[in-house]
Amino acid sequence: MASLNVENLKVVYRGVILALNGVSLRAEPGEAVGLLGPNGAGKSTLVRAIAGLLHQYEGRVLDGKITLNGQDITHASALKVAALGLTPILEGRPVFRYLTVLENLTAAAHKLSPARARAITEEVFARFPRLYERRREQAGYLSGGEQQMLLLGMALLTEPRVLVVDEPSLGLAPILVEEVMRVLGELRREKGLTLILVEQNARAAFSLVERVYVLEQGRVAFEGSTQVAQSDADVMEFYLGAGASGGFAEAKRYRRRKRWV
Amino acid sequence: MDLSLLPQFLITGLSTGALYALITLGFVLVYRATSVVNFAIGEFLLVGAYLVYTFNVAPFNLPLPLAMLVALPVAFLFGWLIERGFVRPLLGRNVVAVIMATIGLVATLDGVAQLVWGADQKAYNGELPGQPIVLGSLVLTARSMWGIVVGIGVALLLIALLRYSRYGVMIRAVSESETAALALGINAPRMVGIVWGLSAALAALGGVLLASASGPGFHVIALGLMVFPVAILGGMDSVPGAVIAGLALGVVQALSTGYLEGSLPGITEAIPFVIVLLVLLLRPYGLFGQSRIERV
Repeated sequence: MASLNVENLKVVYRGVILALNGVSLRAEPGEAVGLLGPNGAGKSTLVRAIAGLLHQYEGRVLDGKITLNGQDITHASALKVAALGLTPILEGRPVFRYLTVLENLTAAAHKLSPARARAITEEVFARFPRLYERRREQAGYLSGGEQQMLLLGMALLTEPRVLVVDEPSLGLAPILVEEVMRVLGELRREKGLTLILVEQNARAAFSLVERVYVLEQGRVAFEGSTQVAQSDADVMEFYLGAGASGGFAEAKRYRRRKRWV
Repeated sequence: MDLSLLPQFLITGLSTGALYALITLGFVLVYRATSVVNFAIGEFLLVGAYLVYTFNVAPFNLPLPLAMLVALPVAFLFGWLIERGFVRPLLGRNVVAVIMATIGLVATLDGVAQLVWGADQKAYNGELPGQPIVLGSLVLTARSMWGIVVGIGVALLLIALLRYSRYGVMIRAVSESETAALALGINAPRMVGIVWGLSAALAALGGVLLASASGPGFHVIALGLMVFPVAILGGMDSVPGAVIAGLALGVVQALSTGYLEGSLPGITEAIPFVIVLLVLLLRPYGLFGQSRIERV
């Protein structure tokens, strides 16, 4: 079990574009935390910063601190972060498309002994029989849901203690979203993972996490337990687009009025 | 046309072609892993051929095969250092900037090679060992056999390693997406360094075998330019494509030397490029270019 702590993080891209403007977040050992918010709020930037991958996107940490189990990883390389047991599953389902399913798993298992790799690969196949059926096919030809399962399998082979998942539900049919959330919940319980779930699909995230952060324009706009978030009309209405109130016109008027308050 | 010499030409062609394949293999791996078109590949051949020469003459005086064996790790180190000091700082920059930089590398390495080894043509000490095999009118010289055996053998070995070994899978993963590989904790910089080292070692092997008759000298650079038609014909990013295109163009060149050179002097140099143009008209991605997986 591992804890993650982000304090007042500021991130810029290309030296000028401020993507995160003082974000703080913490995840206790074994906790599942949701990171919600609209497009462009800075969710993926936070994932990249935590994973040490910012420089791949021409970004860097301007200010603030990230610690993993008390160890400072603010400017650590991706390899260092990985070695400390934090595995990100990036957005856009980045499987190796020209590698077969089996090769994708082999690549992910690079630091395990062959025996251990085989054992976990079997576990992955037992959990996702579909991957076993398609193990010799190029991952680029899998469906979106299968690719997401493959990514989860690959993450398992890195033996993570903290899993950061960026938008696993994107572009998936509702039934598959449910499936992904169910599997994430299982994995978390069985492996004692600390889980950071980034989602735009708030409803899906609520089924899994205990606490949520809502990001907007590079800042934390809301922070609280899942129950509080769900009962907070403003959070639901403004950030999560899931207002209980009537139709679109009414919602729009409500927003306009709120803006003046 | 004297068809009785055809088998002889084929053998000679396969031997040079196998070496083209070997050199192009390294070139293609580098292209896949770093998207860098290494215009200095000719210089990689040159440095490799000279390194072998260094171990081949005094004070080392190693026989040629042994000198090759000793020079390979040094060539690997050379490629690795080029990647560290020269390519890595430029990664992510504009493609044209990187291309210009490799052209700058050409001039630099030419100069350094002249400073270290001099500008004159050298000769290797001794021959490649082996007895020529005579089958009727067909003569398999020791040099042809070395070309075929080493070229095809090493190429197949490398393809097998890339396909089945854990490191091979990791290299392919990094070649496809460095970010995704890093996210899994794969040491992408190390893989890229290995690929450049391999490329330099393969170029050294090809360079010394291509130059084994003439000895190392600056004409070796021109031989390195053959990677361009071979790589393009093979599809630029295809490893088996590089091997098949290398063998094919080697044979074509040998046939052209045998049959066309008399009536059309100079055609041998041009013919690989003519073939590439014709093939690209029909298949824009080359013979074995990766068909892109796209989801709609």
